[in-house]
Amino acid sequence: MKHVTIDPVTRIEGHLRVEMTVDEGSGKVTDALSSGTAWRGLELIMNGRDPRDAWAYIQRICGVCTTAHALASVRAVEDALGIKIPKNANYIRNIMAASLTVQDHIVHFYHLHALDWVSPVEALKADPAATANLQNTVLNAYQLPFRAPNTSDTEAYPKAFPEATPAYFKAIKDKVQAIVQSGQLGIFAAQWWDHPDYQLLPPEVHLMAVAHYLEMLDKQRELVTPHVVFGGKNPHPHYIVGGMPCSISLEDGNAPVNTARLAIVDRAINLARTLSNTFYLPDLLAIGHLYVQKGMTDGGGLAKTRVLGFGAYPMDAYSGTANGDFFRQCLIRCNGVVENFGAGAAQAKFTPLTAEDLSNPEAFNEGVAHAWYEYPGAKADKALHPWDGVTEAKFTAPKVGTPTDWKELDEKSKYSWLKTPKWHGKLCEVGPLARYIIIYTRAQQGMLPDPTWAEKMMIDQIDAVSKVLNLPPHVWLPTMVGRTAARALDAQLNAEIAKFFFDQLIANLKAGDTQVANMAKWEPSEWPKMAKGVGLYEAPRGALSHWVNIESGSITNYQCIVPTTWNACPRDDKAGHGAYEAAMMDTRVKVPDKPLEIAKVVRSFDPCMACATHIYNPEGEKLRVVTTDPYTGTRVES
Amino acid sequence: MEKRESLWEAYLRRGLSRRSFIKGCVALTSLMGLSTDMVSKVVEAAEKKPLPVVIWLHGHECTGCDEAFIRSASPLASDLVLSSIALEYDHLLSAACGEPFERHLEETIKKYWGNYILAVEGAVSTTDNGVYCMSGGKPFVDTFQRVAKGAMAIIAYGTCAVSGGIQGAKPNPTGSSGVGHYTGTKPIVNVPGCPPIPEVMTGVVMHVALFGKLPPLDSENRPKQFFGNRIHDTCYRRPFFDAGMFADRYDDAGAKAGWCLYRLGCRGPETYASCGNLRWYQGMSYPIQSGAACIGCANSNFWDSGASFSERLPKYGPLGDVDTIGAGLAIASTAGVALHGAMSVIQKQKRAAEEAEAEGGAHK
Repeated sequence: MKHVTIDPVTRIEGHLRVEMTVDEGSGKVTDALSSGTAWRGLELIMNGRDPRDAWAYIQRICGVCTTAHALASVRAVEDALGIKIPKNANYIRNIMAASLTVQDHIVHFYHLHALDWVSPVEALKADPAATANLQNTVLNAYQLPFRAPNTSDTEAYPKAFPEATPAYFKAIKDKVQAIVQSGQLGIFAAQWWDHPDYQLLPPEVHLMAVAHYLEMLDKQRELVTPHVVFGGKNPHPHYIVGGMPCSISLEDGNAPVNTARLAIVDRAINLARTLSNTFYLPDLLAIGHLYVQKGMTDGGGLAKTRVLGFGAYPMDAYSGTANGDFFRQCLIRCNGVVENFGAGAAQAKFTPLTAEDLSNPEAFNEGVAHAWYEYPGAKADKALHPWDGVTEAKFTAPKVGTPTDWKELDEKSKYSWLKTPKWHGKLCEVGPLARYIIIYTRAQQGMLPDPTWAEKMMIDQIDAVSKVLNLPPHVWLPTMVGRTAARALDAQLNAEIAKFFFDQLIANLKAGDTQVANMAKWEPSEWPKMAKGVGLYEAPRGALSHWVNIESGSITNYQCIVPTTWNACPRDDKAGHGAYEAAMMDTRVKVPDKPLEIAKVVRSFDPCMACATHIYNPEGEKLRVVTTDPYTGTRVES
Repeated sequence: MEKRESLWEAYLRRGLSRRSFIKGCVALTSLMGLSTDMVSKVVEAAEKKPLPVVIWLHGHECTGCDEAFIRSASPLASDLVLSSIALEYDHLLSAACGEPFERHLEETIKKYWGNYILAVEGAVSTTDNGVYCMSGGKPFVDTFQRVAKGAMAIIAYGTCAVSGGIQGAKPNPTGSSGVGHYTGTKPIVNVPGCPPIPEVMTGVVMHVALFGKLPPLDSENRPKQFFGNRIHDTCYRRPFFDAGMFADRYDDAGAKAGWCLYRLGCRGPETYASCGNLRWYQGMSYPIQSGAACIGCANSNFWDSGASFSERLPKYGPLGDVDTIGAGLAIASTAGVALHGAMSVIQKQKRAAEEAEAEGGAHK
């Protein structure tokens, strides 16, 4: 048995440490520990603040999923104060959320995750002409032709399209070679490039992926221009309680939003469609297909046992969350829990999530047995509902080492700045994978009446990928590859969602409604003396909830249960391991002192640690299916 | 910056022979997984001056600054990271992790001692010996101080690194503050903003790469070219302020007409930043242009200004209490002209004072 630590885990947001015990003979991980190693105390900072400002403070939880916490925050405050936002504000917020999702997923796949799969060193062995052939093959084999029905098509031709010429790939290869020869490897320095996993893909795939790494690094910025138009900047665009600050006028050129500004948004959405459809999904499927063919279907962990979702994209403005109207309006009704999906969609158990669950302290609570916090007095051994949550830091020393020089953390005691969130006392995985598992299971079990276009598209996407991989969904989805694939499907879906709501916005403006803010309850004098609310949002990384208590115009308690907290949380003595730990223990390590597989499976969740740690207080066309190995014949032998 | 030396120059300085240099290059070639016929190319590269080495550390932060950095359009992130600098250590983009990554940090510090740029994002947390911000099993504050010692200069990116930021807001549970207290006498460039404008961030690095020295700084160590003007002075809505034309509520007729947001709490009048002139996304917008009152995110301690963001500033800048001036503006546009005159005079006086100070400094 060998004890292995990765600290810091990089290419993530924030500070994460993982430790594991590996059986050197079998490569099996017998125990795993995930620790959020930083705590900023934002929950304590929220107390006494103006609830109308909460979005600005709490958005600073995270600059990677920027906008996510601002959106959940305004939703929570509006729920507490009984504010219904105008139609346009709902459409604009949805466009911003969907744009973020596409951009965040693309940055994750190409810049945070790709270097676990591909290597610039391997790319140097590629033949540029063969790579150009490969690019054409991948485009022919792996594009999934799904679109939101009846949405506008305002693009004459794809403005970004993968280059497939030998000269282009030679230029990329030459650049990589120059970097390697310079001895200044920069961001490519010190990685385990000799790990056997880098041999799973042919050199041409490596070169193609490195090229797309660079292309996407420069193009991702354009995907969030809707934030810049509607919110003034990115990262950290502006919101207001009651709607959006970006007034619309189709008569005044000085207005924050007018026809010219809307055209910028539309162009960004068109680009989101193109990048998802011609770069991201084909690349993901090309790499994922090879991995699955080589038997790499591990890393599922908790996804096989239990996943949770909250529901996404209110189609229209809703009257509240705690009263259940949010759930009734969702375009994607993934509000619920699916257990035992690993046994098959027919055997899995679906439990819906209702408004009553939100206020039930047994349904949602958080424990601190293995977290560096303590609950006071009689609450000491309890798990607390977020509306009653407490944040009191209680750091304890590691098992080996000192408080300021950790060797091994203590899995039997406290070891993380993340609390342990639970649904009816059980741990759940959240994220795009969870959303797809929930919608697919509901549909298979006849529990998804009158599916929306988005839900239909999700089912079609899963069926299409199952055909490509020649595996049933319950085999390929709850895996490391499946988690990463679900994110790419989610990007394609969200590009369509952005377009869908853009068209809705235009139609509503055409009908003469330009209102973006409901200011009737802006003044604190219009608020109840005491109020509490919850805001839900299916963020890029999964189910996010903000919980706020307001008294006499000020915040008295603010809590967030964040996707990465669900996934990266420390264990619970009764409920077992959280999703990161379970996934690590479901992953085989080939070289114990180069645990690339572990870094890869952890990154398949897209960790966002600042989110997780800081805030605890208190009808598609027929698919072209690949039947032969797409890689044969790509290399031109000289 | 001119002190940057090639590997060959480093060998010469240490009095090592050409033979040992070539041996080093052969070892380097095999280390990089290259075939031996590449040795001559490695030797050639090792004789050239290297790119400016940048080490990027993360303290108490949200990674929004790193994200802003990769939103830059000119230069593009790929051009900057692969052709203008050598980004040897960065938690967001670096391929490596864990022990080999930490070892690479130590090797980089040693190899480029006194010659690398330390970019830092996030605040330093010191309460309880820094256990609230740990990385690599050690407190961030310790790593930061160690890396800072060997830096040629430090760039503090974002309000967190400059003045503590969000985690430093009351009651500051983790004892967070700006990094400037922990840098000793090292030259530091403060680039506040939450986050700063992408091209401001890359602009500072490009200045170093293009001109071989740090950009000219103001009295708070901010690059003058990006922080020399208040947003208010460069705001395209300024004529509406001067004419006394204000939005009184979000989404009212004034808001739809793009009038001044001062009464909605806009912090433009007290905030030095490039939002008004450079703007975001190459001139596409900034919060005010999108109808949102500025929250003054480039100001130190802006989270604790004592008023909610929607409250009109009772006081700002050199004018002191302008509440009465604001009230007067609504009635008489002549007052606006008078105010404009007063503001301009104050700005001119400020500039004159700065220039005098700068000249005085030059004569020392």
